[in-house]
Amino acid sequence: MKVSRVFVANRGEIALRIIRACRDLGIETIVAVSTADRESKPAKAADRAVCIGPPQAIDSYLKVQTMIAAALGSGADAIHPGYGFLAERPDLVEACEKNGLIFIGPTADNIRKMGDKLLAREMGRKLGIPVIPGSEMVATSEEAQKAATKLGFPVLIKAAAGGGGKGIKTVHVPEDIKDVFEEASGEALAAFGDGRLYIERYIPNARHIEVQIIGDRQGNIIHLFDRDCSLQRRYQKILEEAPSPVMTAELRKRICDAAVRIATHIGYQNAGTIEFVFDQDQESFYFLEMNTRIQVEHPITEMITGVDLVKEQINVAAGNPLSISQYDVKVSGHSIECRINAESPDRNFHPSPGHIDAWDPPEGEGIRIDSHCYAGCVVSPYYDSLLAKLVTWGTDRFDAIKKMQYALDHFTISGVDTTVPFHQYILKNKDYLEGRINTRWIEDTVLRGYGQ
Amino acid sequence: MEPITQEDIFLILKLIEESKYDEMHLEIGDLKIDVRKQGNRASVVDSKCVSEKTAKPAVSVPPPEKMKKDERASDTAGAFTDESGLTPIKASLLGTFYRAPKPGAPAFVEAGQNIAADDTVCIIEVMKLFNTVKAGVSGRIAKICAKDGEMVEFQQTLFLVQEAGDLDGEMRKSA
Repeated sequence: MKVSRVFVANRGEIALRIIRACRDLGIETIVAVSTADRESKPAKAADRAVCIGPPQAIDSYLKVQTMIAAALGSGADAIHPGYGFLAERPDLVEACEKNGLIFIGPTADNIRKMGDKLLAREMGRKLGIPVIPGSEMVATSEEAQKAATKLGFPVLIKAAAGGGGKGIKTVHVPEDIKDVFEEASGEALAAFGDGRLYIERYIPNARHIEVQIIGDRQGNIIHLFDRDCSLQRRYQKILEEAPSPVMTAELRKRICDAAVRIATHIGYQNAGTIEFVFDQDQESFYFLEMNTRIQVEHPITEMITGVDLVKEQINVAAGNPLSISQYDVKVSGHSIECRINAESPDRNFHPSPGHIDAWDPPEGEGIRIDSHCYAGCVVSPYYDSLLAKLVTWGTDRFDAIKKMQYALDHFTISGVDTTVPFHQYILKNKDYLEGRINTRWIEDTVLRGYGQ
Repeated sequence: MEPITQEDIFLILKLIEESKYDEMHLEIGDLKIDVRKQGNRASVVDSKCVSEKTAKPAVSVPPPEKMKKDERASDTAGAFTDESGLTPIKASLLGTFYRAPKPGAPAFVEAGQNIAADDTVCIIEVMKLFNTVKAGVSGRIAKICAKDGEMVEFQQTLFLVQEAGDLDGEMRKSA
C-alpha cells in the first residue's frame, strides 16, 4: 500500500496539522470544506479543497457517504479523520475498506470494542487492570439506587456509549438518583442512540492521566508515555501537560505497561490513548476508557518525545512497521498545552464567535502554536470554539511554565473573547504551580476565585 | 479619445466569441484588456460556471501527474464573463454528475433546450444513491457547466438557464 494523496475529513487546526504532516512527507492533500470553510486556512494550504455541504456539520462533516464520494472523486487513496466528527465511526472505516481507501486510524473492530464502556471495563478486569469500582449495566432507577447504595454516595451515572467527558452525571444524595437516572437515560439515548447506563464510584481527589500509544499492522505496539489532563471544566480539558508531575518512575512504568497490554489485547492499530483515573489519596490508578483517534493534546507528547505522531499514523496506515521502537522513545523536558478557545471566561465560558480583527501569536524558542486562525478570519458559530493550541516546551516543568506565562502575555487576539486571561490566571496560581490540583480544582476552587 | 462604453465591451466579447482565437490582448491607450476563451485549459471544467468566487474547479478523475497549483486558480480564469442575467442550477449535494438516466441513454437536457421548473435536468450519485435534480426554474438551457461522470461539489453550478420571460437577458449579460 502506498499513500500518495490524503483526503482530510476535518476542519480547523487539526486539518492544517494533517496537511502539514503530509506536505513534509511529499503527500498531496485534499481537504473537505463546508461552505463556511471555503476561505479557511486549511482550504488554502491543501492542494485542493472540495466543498462537501452546508455549514451545519450534520449535513457536511458528519456525512460518511459524502466524505467517501468526495475522497474517491478527488482521487485520494487515504482518509485522515482528525479528531471529533467522524474519527470514531466504525461505519466510515468499513466504507473505506469497501471502496479501497486506506483509513488512517484504527480498525472498525478496535473502535467498536472501545466505544462500549461496559465492554471496555470488563476487558480491563479480565486483564487484571484495575477499573473504578462500579456496577454492571443498570436497567432501572431501582437497580441504580441499589448499586449506588452499595458503592456509597456520591456516585457517577455514566452512559455505556459515552466517552470524552460526555454522558456523565454526578449524584450526591440518594434522593436524587431517580430523577438523574431518568434524565441521563433519555440524554444518552438522544446523544448516542444507546440509553444503557452504569454506576461508578466517585473519586474526589483524582487526576486524569492518559497514555499515548501507537501500533502498526505487524502487531508492534509502543507507548509514548503519559499526559496529565486534570485541569478540566465540565469534563472538558482546558490545559494539559506531559509528563504528569505526580507520577513516580514506578507508577509510570505500571500505567504505561497497562496501556500497552490493553492495546495489545485488542490488536490495536494506529494512534490511540488509554485514559486512567489516578486516585491521589490512594496512589492507585484505574483504567477509564480508550480513545481510538489522534487527540487534541497530542502535541505535548510530540514535544517531549520528538516523535511526529501524525506522520507515524500515516506511516503505519500505509502498512509500514513503526519507524521507532519502544527503546527509542525517551522523555526529554516538559511540555504544557493551553487550549485557547473563543469563549468568555467572564460570562461562564459562553462561546464568543465573530470576526478576528487582530491575531498576533507569540514567538520564541520552545513555543509551538497549532492554529488555523489569522487576522480577518471568522470564528464560525457552527463548530467548536478552539482557536489555537498554545504549546510550550521547557527543560523542566518550571521552565515550561515560565515560557507559557511569557507566551500568554504576548498573545494578541482581538475581535472575539478568548480563554487567554483564564490561562494567565491559572499559570500564576500557587496551587497549580505547586501541583496541588485535581479534576475538580477548576470548578471547585478556580472558578470561585476567578474574577473576584 | 472616447471612453470605452459597455456597448464597446460587448462588441469586443462578441468578436472573440465568434473568432477562432482563444485569447485576445487589446490595448487602447492606458486601457488593457485580456480576454481568454473557456476550454483552453483542458483539465479545468468550465471554471467560468463556478459562480462562487472561491469554488475550486472539479477535477474528479485524478490527473496522472501531480496536481498543478494553477488547476485551482479558477478565480480569475473566467473573470470577464458576466453571468448576470442567467440563472444557475446548482448541485444540492456532492456526488457524481450524470446527464442521462443510464449510460447510452439520451441526456435529460441539451444546451438550447427549453425546460420547465419541474423537469429533471441531471442525476447526482452519492455511493449508489441516485438523486434526481429538478431545474427549479423554467427557461432555456444556456450552458452545461459540469462534465458527465465527474464529481461535482456542493453548490457547484451545473447549468446556466436563461429564464423564461427574461427578454432583455441578452442585454443584461453585457452590463
